[in-house]
Parts: sequence; structure tokens; C-alpha cells
Amino acid sequence: MTMDLTDKNSDYLEVFQAVTRLISSLHDPQQVMDLVVRRLPELLEIDAATIRLLDPGTDSFVFGAAYGLSDEYLARSTIDSTEVMAALKKGEPIAKKDIDILCDHDSCVYISQEGVKSAMSLPIIFNNEVIGLLRLLTRDSREFAQSEIAFAMSLAEQVGMALTNSRLFQELEVQVKFLSELREISSLVNSTLNLDDILKIIVDKLPPLLKVKGCTVRLLHPATNRLELVAASGLSDKYLNRGSISRENAFFKAVSGQPVAIYDATNDPRVDYHEAIREEGIKSILVVPIKNGRDIIGILRLLSNQPRSFTQNEINFTVTVAEEGGNAIQKARTYRQITLLFEQIEENERFLHTILDSLWLQLLVVAPDKRVIMANKFFLETRGFEENEVLGEFYHNVVPWHRIDASHCPVTTVFEEQKSVAVLDHLENLENPEGAKWYERHLTPILGPDGEVDFVIEAVRDITDQQLLEQEKMERVKLEGVIEMAGTAAHELNSPLFAALGTAQLLRDDLTSKEMIEEMDMIIRNMKRMAELTREMTEVTGFESREYVGKTKIVSLKSNSQ
Amino acid sequence: MSDILVLDDVLDAVILIKKILTRQGHSVVTFTEEEEAIEHARKNPVDLAILDIKLKKMSGIQVLEELKKTTPDLKVIMLTGYPTIETAREAIELGAGEYCVKPIDKTELEEKVAGILAR
Repeated sequence: MTMDLTDKNSDYLEVFQAVTRLISSLHDPQQVMDLVVRRLPELLEIDAATIRLLDPGTDSFVFGAAYGLSDEYLARSTIDSTEVMAALKKGEPIAKKDIDILCDHDSCVYISQEGVKSAMSLPIIFNNEVIGLLRLLTRDSREFAQSEIAFAMSLAEQVGMALTNSRLFQELEVQVKFLSELREISSLVNSTLNLDDILKIIVDKLPPLLKVKGCTVRLLHPATNRLELVAASGLSDKYLNRGSISRENAFFKAVSGQPVAIYDATNDPRVDYHEAIREEGIKSILVVPIKNGRDIIGILRLLSNQPRSFTQNEINFTVTVAEEGGNAIQKARTYRQITLLFEQIEENERFLHTILDSLWLQLLVVAPDKRVIMANKFFLETRGFEENEVLGEFYHNVVPWHRIDASHCPVTTVFEEQKSVAVLDHLENLENPEGAKWYERHLTPILGPDGEVDFVIEAVRDITDQQLLEQEKMERVKLEGVIEMAGTAAHELNSPLFAALGTAQLLRDDLTSKEMIEEMDMIIRNMKRMAELTREMTEVTGFESREYVGKTKIVSLKSNSQ
Repeated sequence: MSDILVLDDVLDAVILIKKILTRQGHSVVTFTEEEEAIEHARKNPVDLAILDIKLKKMSGIQVLEELKKTTPDLKVIMLTGYPTIETAREAIELGAGEYCVKPIDKTELEEKVAGILAR
């Protein structure tokens, strides 16, 4: 810039017009920055230019665009001396020459290696706030004139406005896009109650929308409160398995409800595993809480493979998606719990049904309106009914033991008196007297919370066979008694009969009269006949029915002899 | 001739047996009480005991067991109105020679006594 003043002003005007024209046609801040740093060196006869933007999260200037400089130079940790940076933050431009020699910070070596000798640093201001800085650099030692500085400041202001306008424009575009995407994501995550599907929608949809490499969702386990990785996209298994992140500062902030945007994830102390982050090619990370109402149920992380200063819009959008997701996740979890509960109830019901159906009892449940609301398999099979023929029918229409002539039905009694009842019913069969049936009925009330009888359970056992057996047994006992008495009588007769018969035989030996002998023979013959009868009677008593000697009982002679 | 002991709870039965066997020339002592019969057998020579199974206090089987303790060679005929396998088996195991069912015929009794004494 060695022109005279008029020429200079004219040139400035041309440059100013050119810059204004160029940047006013662009809506992308990156394009604005790229254009400015590319065109300014030519217009202002300098060697290089950089734009850095203020990251409010870290209160540091992050790379925006550059021209004419090496990556090594641009990646140096300190931009300029503390004094220069303080002036810039106050909104003051500052120009210095011989900065490679008069250097007092830790990155001087990069400056000398790059051959930079003079630098004009200008704050990019919008609305009285420093939003970035523009640096114009020369490789020859150059003293910037006040007019150059003033001109450059006005250019920087233009850049600031252009940047802000394009940012605003882009933000608006993004907002419109986000709103539409939010609606779609919201509709998608609410279209299913499957937790895995919801998580997949979130981790698949977000990265392309926000132009990031990958996304992870971690949920706090409701029982253990431990963070579990439940879904991820765009990231290697090695990275995902790097270890727990629950000690990271970013996690603590996120679970306290605040989103955390990290520009330089490879060095930022708010995240751990810098080596793994570097290996995975991750540059920036956005961490947002996943909320359900007031509760934080997990965290969502977006991972960018480009250095990225996440805008408030992007952060808000991610937070809103995470909230939508959180609500859907909670709904899905609740649905899963309800489904599990329902399955358990169904299983219990099946189990109870199996038990009721396996009972050797006819079981009925009767509602207060006297309609049958449940009948077990044994009842249906015994009565030859299908279930639909019984359920909803009046009790008295489906049970055989209901008597029309009965003064009071036991079911009614149980409903009225709220007490269990047991009934023994004998049902005559007029057509077939042998087909009479005996039923043992137990009726139990089921009381509701109001103390009224909600249902009556009736368990009915057909005890006809048992009754018949009882009758048969009683008859057998009677018969046994008769036979036993006959046996006892026979035995009791044996001893006197023995004495009488023996005595008669002795007497016969002493008789001499033929007539007397014949008469005695008749007595003996008849006594022997009686002895034969008692023997037969003894043989008939084929029952072990009476104590005899010791533990012995009379044996069944008849059955033994047979 | 032999010394025969007869024990039955029915007095007429023992009288009858005594009459029948006395006519056969045997010396017959009769009892209706178990202890007296056991006491007699302990103190006097007895060749044959005829015991009813159903007695007053003891059973004929128990009396048989007692008699066999003092006179192991004693010959025994058991009489019973209630023939059972159990008593028959026990009587035979304890050494009874015969097991007869009442009412026994006079001739049958004479033959059984002669038979057992001849053994």
C-alpha cells in the first residue's frame, strides 16, 4: 500500500465494494469466511489472512478460515500474545511488525517457521460484541498505516455483518429444516412402542441431519442407575467399547440437565479417552440430556469428524429431539413393563385354568344375577356342554342338581347370607331308578371390597358310586353279623352236642334190648345229623369276624375248603 | 393202660371223655381249671393229655406249652369247636399229636387215643 491518498481511497473503495458485493451474495458463513480470506491478500497486498470465531463455550477463538498458511502454523496453541488477545477481546485492532522477533509466547517457533513478520489483528464485531477475529499477515516486515487499519476495521465490520447475516439466514433455514425434521422424528418415535426401534430412529436420523459422524444413546438403568450404551451409529466397536464415561465432566453436566458442546474433543478435559477420540477421527462432541418430564433418563451424544462449533439452533434441536425421544423411550419402557405384566397375568390365568380344568370336580362360578360366568372342563365334559352354551346362561338352566321344587336354592342362600354352604343332594331318576345320583355340593361366597358377595363358587362332586359302595358295605356288614351269629351258635352247640352224643353212644353200649338199641340209634343218628349241621354252619361262617384265642380269628373254612 | 389228663371248660365234656376212656381201661383225671391241670401234670405221671383249645383263662395252646416244659415227651390231643389254621399250626409245632374237631364221635376218639398211645 504505497499509493498516494486519493488513489488509496479509490482503491479502498473498490476493495470495499468488491468485498461487500461478494459477501452480500452469500448465505453460508463458511463461504463468506473462505471468500474473505482468499480475496483480501490480493486486494490488500498482503500474504495471508485468517478468520477465527469466538467459541462462547470455551471463550476461545476457533479456526474459521485461512489462506496462505500451513496447517502446522494454523494448529499452534497460542494465537498471539496475551496483550494482543486482550486488546482484540476489547474490540480494539492492533497491528505489529517483527512479530517473529518480538515474540513472547509459546508458539513463536511456528511464526518464525512460517516466515510471518507483520500481523494486523482485527476484532470482528457485531452488535458491540466480538464474535471473531480477522488477521492479515505479511512475510515482510511492514508497518501498517492508520488508514490501512481503519480500512481493515471497516472490512472486518463488513465481514462481521456478513457473517452474522449469513449465520442468521442459515440459522433460519436450519430452523425451518429442523422443525420439519423434528416433526418427522417425533412422528416416527411415537409411531412405535418398540424401544429398540425408537433408539434406532434417533441414532440413524440425527447424524445426517446435523452432519456429524455418529450418535450414541446411553440410558440410566432404572434399577441400578448405571449408564448403559443402548444404541449407536457411525462409530467403531473399538471406540464404543473404550470404557465407561460416567466419570466424565461432560456426562455430569448433561445428567444435571445442561447440554455440553465440545469443540476440540481430542484435548478438552470435559471428556476422557482422548486417544480413542483421536483414533476414531472425532473432532467435536455435543452431549445433551435425554429427559422424560423432569427426570433425566440418559444422555445423547453427537460426534463430529470435523471441528465444529455447534450453534444454539443445533443444540436446541438436539435437546428437543432427545426430549421427544425420552418421552417415547419412557412410553416404550412402560409399554414393555405393561406387556410383561400382561404376559405374567396371562400365564397365571393359563396356570389357574389348567388347575381348574384338571380338578376331578365340577366347578362353576355364578354372578349375582344367577348367570354362570365360569365353568371348568370337568363340568362341561360331564354335562356334554360347549363353553359358549354355559357362559352367560342362567344357573338353573345348566345344572342338573337344581330342583324346581326346592324351596330355596343354595346359591341364593350364599348370596344372601354371605356364608359357605355344603349340600348333599339325592336326585331320583324317574325313568331309571338305578340312575339316581348323589351330589356333594360346596358353595363358597367371594366377597368384594364392599363386603357384598361378588360371586359364588360351587364345587360339585358326584358321590353316587361312593354312596352305593357305602350301602353295599352296610348290607355286607349286616349279612356278616347274621352269619357270624350262626357260626357262634354252631360252636356253642358243639360242646353240649359232643357231651350228649358221646353219652348216648356210651349208653347204647350198655343196652341189651334190641328195641332200646334201635331207639338209642335213632337218637344217636339224629344227634350226628345235628353235628353235621353245626359243622356246615361253621363252614358257612367264612369270615374273620370274631376273636378266638390270642390273636387268632376264625378262619374261612368254606373258602379254604374250596 | 395209660394215665390220661383231660382239660375242657365244659364239665359235661370232661365227664363224657372220662367215661369213654375209662371203659377202655385207662386211668383218666379230668379238669375244668387250667392251673389245676398243669399242677397235676407237674406232680403226677401223665401219658396223654386231651386239651380243649378254648378254656377259661388260658388257651389250650398255652397249657400245651406249659405241660411240654415239664414233660417234653407228653402225648397230646387237641380238641376244638373252632378249628383254625393258626391254632392247628401252633399245636402241631408245640408237639400235639392230634388235632380233633368237636363234636368228635366216640369211636373216632377211642381210635385216636389208641393210635397216639401206640406211637
